[in-house]
Amino acid sequence: MRHIINYKTIITVILVCITFSCSDILDKEPVSSFPGQGFYKTSSDAQAGVYGIYDALQSTTRVNFAYWGEGRADAIATNHAGDPVALNQNNLTQSINSARWNNIYETVSRANYAIKYIPTVFETENDFSLELIGQAKALRALSYFYAVRVWGDVPLIMEPYESVDQEFFISKTNKELVLDQIVEDLIFAANHCKENYSGEKTRILFTRGGANALLTQVYMWRNQYNDAIESAEKVLDNNLYSLVTINDWSKIFTSGYSNESIFEVGYNETQTNALRVLYALGADSDYYPSGSFRDAFEEGDLRKKLIWDTTNASPKKIWKFFGEGFSDESPEPSGNNIVLLRLADIILLKAEAHNQLNNPAEALKLLNLIRKRADIPELNEAEAITLYGSIEAAIAHERLIELSFEGHRWFDLVRTGKAIEVMNPINGLSDEANLVWPIHEDALNRNPNLEQNAFYK
Amino acid sequence: MEKTSHAHSSERWIFKLKSRSFYGFLFLICCAFTNGYSQDLIVTGKITEEATGEPLLGVNVIVKGTSTGVSSDFDGIYTIKNVTPENILIFSYLGFSDQEVKVGNKTEINVILKPTVDQLDELVIIGYGTKKKRNLTGAIVSVGSDAIDKSNLQDPISILQGRAAGVQVTSNSGAPGGGMSIKVRGNSSLNSGNSPLYVIDGVAIESNSLSSLNGSEKFGLNPLADINPGDIASIEILKDAASTAIYGSRAANGVVIITTKRGISGDAQVDLSITSGVSEIPRMLSVLNASQYRAVILDSYKNMDNPVTPNGIILDSLNPKNNGDVNWQRELLRIAPQNKVDLSVRGGSENLKYAWSSSFLDQDGIILNSNYRRVTSRLNVDFKVSDKITFGQSISYTNGVNNRINAGGTENLSVIRELLVRPPIFAAYLPDGSYNGYQFGRRNPIGLAELATHVNKSNRVTGNQYVEYDIIEGLKLRSNLNLDYTSMKEDEFIPSTLDYREGYNSGKVRAINNLTWGNETFLTFNRQLGESHNLSALAGISFQDWNYEVVGLDGMFFSSDNIPTLNGAGTISNQEVNITTQHSMLSYFGRVSYDYQGKYLFEANIRADGSSRFGKDNRFGYFPSAAVAWRFSDESVFENVNFLNDGKIRLSAGQTGNESIGNYTSQGEFAVGSNYLDFSGAAPTVMPNSGLKWETTTQYNAGLDISLWKNRVSLNADVYLKITEDLLYNVPIPRTTGFSYVTQNIGSIENKGIELSITSQNLVGDFKWETNFNISANRNMIKDLPENLLTNGFIQNGNFHILKEGSPIGTFYGYKFNGVYSRDEDNVNQVTDGALGKKFKGGDPIWDDLNGDNIIDENDKQIIGDATPDFFGGLTNTFSYKGLSLGIFLQFSYGNDIYSEINHQRNSVVRYNNLSTDALNRWREQGDVTNFPKPVSDDPLRSDSRIQSRWVEDGSYIKLKNINLRYRFPDQMVTNLGLRKLEVYTSAVNVLTWTHYTGFDPDVNSYSGLREGLDEGSYPQSRTITLGLNIGF
Repeated sequence: MRHIINYKTIITVILVCITFSCSDILDKEPVSSFPGQGFYKTSSDAQAGVYGIYDALQSTTRVNFAYWGEGRADAIATNHAGDPVALNQNNLTQSINSARWNNIYETVSRANYAIKYIPTVFETENDFSLELIGQAKALRALSYFYAVRVWGDVPLIMEPYESVDQEFFISKTNKELVLDQIVEDLIFAANHCKENYSGEKTRILFTRGGANALLTQVYMWRNQYNDAIESAEKVLDNNLYSLVTINDWSKIFTSGYSNESIFEVGYNETQTNALRVLYALGADSDYYPSGSFRDAFEEGDLRKKLIWDTTNASPKKIWKFFGEGFSDESPEPSGNNIVLLRLADIILLKAEAHNQLNNPAEALKLLNLIRKRADIPELNEAEAITLYGSIEAAIAHERLIELSFEGHRWFDLVRTGKAIEVMNPINGLSDEANLVWPIHEDALNRNPNLEQNAFYK
Repeated sequence: MEKTSHAHSSERWIFKLKSRSFYGFLFLICCAFTNGYSQDLIVTGKITEEATGEPLLGVNVIVKGTSTGVSSDFDGIYTIKNVTPENILIFSYLGFSDQEVKVGNKTEINVILKPTVDQLDELVIIGYGTKKKRNLTGAIVSVGSDAIDKSNLQDPISILQGRAAGVQVTSNSGAPGGGMSIKVRGNSSLNSGNSPLYVIDGVAIESNSLSSLNGSEKFGLNPLADINPGDIASIEILKDAASTAIYGSRAANGVVIITTKRGISGDAQVDLSITSGVSEIPRMLSVLNASQYRAVILDSYKNMDNPVTPNGIILDSLNPKNNGDVNWQRELLRIAPQNKVDLSVRGGSENLKYAWSSSFLDQDGIILNSNYRRVTSRLNVDFKVSDKITFGQSISYTNGVNNRINAGGTENLSVIRELLVRPPIFAAYLPDGSYNGYQFGRRNPIGLAELATHVNKSNRVTGNQYVEYDIIEGLKLRSNLNLDYTSMKEDEFIPSTLDYREGYNSGKVRAINNLTWGNETFLTFNRQLGESHNLSALAGISFQDWNYEVVGLDGMFFSSDNIPTLNGAGTISNQEVNITTQHSMLSYFGRVSYDYQGKYLFEANIRADGSSRFGKDNRFGYFPSAAVAWRFSDESVFENVNFLNDGKIRLSAGQTGNESIGNYTSQGEFAVGSNYLDFSGAAPTVMPNSGLKWETTTQYNAGLDISLWKNRVSLNADVYLKITEDLLYNVPIPRTTGFSYVTQNIGSIENKGIELSITSQNLVGDFKWETNFNISANRNMIKDLPENLLTNGFIQNGNFHILKEGSPIGTFYGYKFNGVYSRDEDNVNQVTDGALGKKFKGGDPIWDDLNGDNIIDENDKQIIGDATPDFFGGLTNTFSYKGLSLGIFLQFSYGNDIYSEINHQRNSVVRYNNLSTDALNRWREQGDVTNFPKPVSDDPLRSDSRIQSRWVEDGSYIKLKNINLRYRFPDQMVTNLGLRKLEVYTSAVNVLTWTHYTGFDPDVNSYSGLREGLDEGSYPQSRTITLGLNIGF
């Protein structure tokens, strides 16, 4: 009988041990990450969540700022198969890479998480929480602004996805409604983002200045000139921003964090972008300056030799982003920041708005600020008309040169209705409906409620 | 992570000799067995089997009441010393009745053993126990040590190829230590969890590759290569739900139970086995030489719509970089040696039995600079401390060093890809003797093999400690503690010599710790009630915990190519990898078996599994099964049917599950490390789905076991139907959600099939001939997929496959290639390309216009192949005459297609690839009739790069997998040499393959899991010839 007692004891002990601990045994929370829900608990989580949005933005802009903003326009030329040639020759198909919006919506998703959950972290609304939400909204606005400029109507997603019960198959929203949302987000950001941060941070995070600058671009896209002037003024009046001298002009791009910069996407040697492959990889870069662009400079323009290798009759590289004399043999992947918003852009947009509102004097004053720095003659109305046909054209030309390859040209052409006029002789672009990109086939495959853009059907 | 001193421990073992000695071969070991008692009698004799008169090997001969014992040799001969006339000898052998003989004054005692009933009384390992083969109610195949020893393969999985009905094994990589895929009764899951559960000596071990470098290439590693086949006593594959349900949620894909050899009572038996061999590539593939290659490339420029000047590298044949004429295969493939030494000692007394073994394998791969070295060491001990209590321990240690070459994937870092497609005109070396490196997207494969580092080092300890307590007659309690621990370190370094950027080198390091441990405690009950009722039962509880950790760094700009370790890196380029994941499971299980006179058999199992991987509401899953069997041959009707020895019908039904999803998938994941410059960021990376639950497989099985003509012929047949529901699948969702997929329970899959295996002793007597044949057919079909997941009626699965209702997993989807337009006018319907609106012309492929709209676009894609075979199996013939035996093993697969991505690379001019000699038949001018379209540089019509039937090939094959010829020296001679056993053999593996497949080998599967039948240029399999020697002391 002793044996029986023994085995009973043994079994009982084992069963009791195991059963008692059982409820805990099967609770395994992630160790090296957080569960999908319930991440936002402390203010530092809120901060980390917002930095995570910028991380997604880095992916959005790393190549596409150029494919979207320059690839279909006249300043670049290319021999490079794939997206560069397809865009340049206006052979857009639903399988080209720049037709993918994955990174944009990943940025939006992260922003939506932040916007929903940051308020739950803080007991009461305070400057810090509003500042974080402001940044998230600005980043969401920036993403959607790219989306409407590239595809026109797009699905508008304002809530994070956390459950399979949510509706996945969202159809497109009219682009004007998306733009309304963008404006709403940016106004919030302009009111609640931080005025400035110490040091370099102020250039790579969204500040009120950044929100106002982006708002200026959005208003100009919508041809709302008064609103554009108003928001541009807030930028111009902000003493964080000033035009650098021509000697420091290259440094806006090569070193980044210049006083002229309003918002730039930060990169470094491990969080890299494709600037070098896009513009400066000697034998094989995506883009080099087109002939018409090289001929567009006025005599004595100091920027010319800073933008490309003028010593070469048929230059194969653009060294604006890497500095005069940049050699493509350098092994470094590019860690330069990509400047998305800078003062010269806002000054010229404001000039354009004034001109549209029949205030040529104010327009020329602003235009000449930029011309003067490049050491080319300041223009009066007559001279502008003589040289370029109109003040509007003179400003457009100035934007072409000053903001070259920074991802503005195509959007400027579309915004001002000049895209077909300029690009038709180059690649036969002739249809307004062709101004947007096709929606990528992968997106169509994943969403039965999504319709291809009319031109690409 | 460092190699330990275990590595060469085998060499230090020395056994004291007394009466005789033998100085071993080569550098190794001397051995003998001790004999220290005073001389009484020496008894010898021969033990034979009643039915056939065959000698019996390994019969235990024990002096009753002592621990003295010996066992019989190959010829049934035993010799036992130190016996007195009063002693009684007990002869015992599994499956046979014990016999006791008093010694008296005899010195020769010959014994004829009678089977207890017959050979069907062999014990077969089942989940948590054993069962007599005759009493099995489920579908189980067993592969014994004989087949394992003769296969001459170095890992347990490849041994199963062609040997077990219903078990399909394909090779992921032919590299030493390379990965294998194994599928039991078809794919039952849509996620990649399609491999069976592996249980070694009661320990559920980790069978997925732990490698964390190189994504898809990790399939090139086989974690089960850590097991030395020489240690294996048997492998059982549990196939139907009745057999597997006791393993519940991990058993939907079958269970492979590996049992290692354990100690035997008697004098120490020392076995030494030495093999040495060479491997070579069975066939090289045709490639163009320099001038043929230049001609094709020039054609491809000529064929452009707006021809441009060809690149200088084609025209400039004087440049020392471009003046080569290299067949890269000749430069890189080699004859590779391999050596293996196995040493084992087994013995013990009634109360303490041990099996000790050690082995060393050094195997070179057939591609330059690939090598695998493995040291294994194992100790299995069982000791009985009292009548009631037995303790035991199995522990094994494996150290593996795999010097790999990068052979996987589609990048230009893959040596296999480069050795086939790097242009022949690129010189291998420059005049100064240095490597001619990167050119136009192509790396130098010699450099890749020789200079790049790609090492995987692992240390693995698997152990199982148990205590067994006989509570009362028939009632036992067993508790075991098991663990499986692997520490692995991986290093990768690519020196700047191989890159196009000056000073650009890069390296990676990963260190992995993986620990699985658990406890299983169970009671077994066995009781005969009265004359006719046999009852047994099992009840138990099990807990298992998994913990995986990986740390690592990526670096670049190393100060020197000579310092490949990460301390030399100028930049740490990736965020530091440091991840821990955990998983646990708690289970309860039970079984009841009952039979009436062995005639009517019944069994029921149940297991309840709780897993941390599922949401709280769905945590536990319940997996029941039941089986009945009827031994009709015991019915009186069959009493006079003399040719029928045994006949049994089995029926079973049951459920098993699958929990192979990410540890935290149901909770979703918010990942840290989504940093913005130096600011720490976090971001949602896995979308949560708190409703996730188990994938459940319901399986029905009907089987027939028949044994005829005094067991000379035995036959097993099974038919089954398996339906898997609530499939765990990463369902693609619109990217507008911010995620690319969410894991959901969707749809169902059906597998049904038939399996047949026959063993036949065609000739018995001095000249013996035995045949083993097995064949299986499985039909896999996706039964149901949710409507909202389908675009165009299916789910795209990777680039080449689709998942479609009514079609099997492994269906290839693309354009159908119907030849080449001979002339422009041949395109009478003015068929145009949908994307470009361009009309197809002479030399362009004729695409099948499925919908007849004369436009070739997405709507013309169709099913172009199926990776699953119609049937597969194996045939072994063994002939023996006295000590000489010859085994011939054929293995086959029929009706499976292969999508040869590597042939796509080899037949297109993309990135200046070299081509196969098929390109000599290319279309050149109007009127050419050929199947090889015109090459076009930068082809806008994507003639080559579309997914198309041109790259789908018939992968059927018959393979002469193994020929094994061995000779066992006669006992007389062996005894005179002071040995127990002496055997020499030669073996050839992968001797011949009959196939239409044009790649290296039709037994290829670059990925495991869902994307079957894809050849992206895996490491080719080799033909190996070895010589071996087995010596027993």
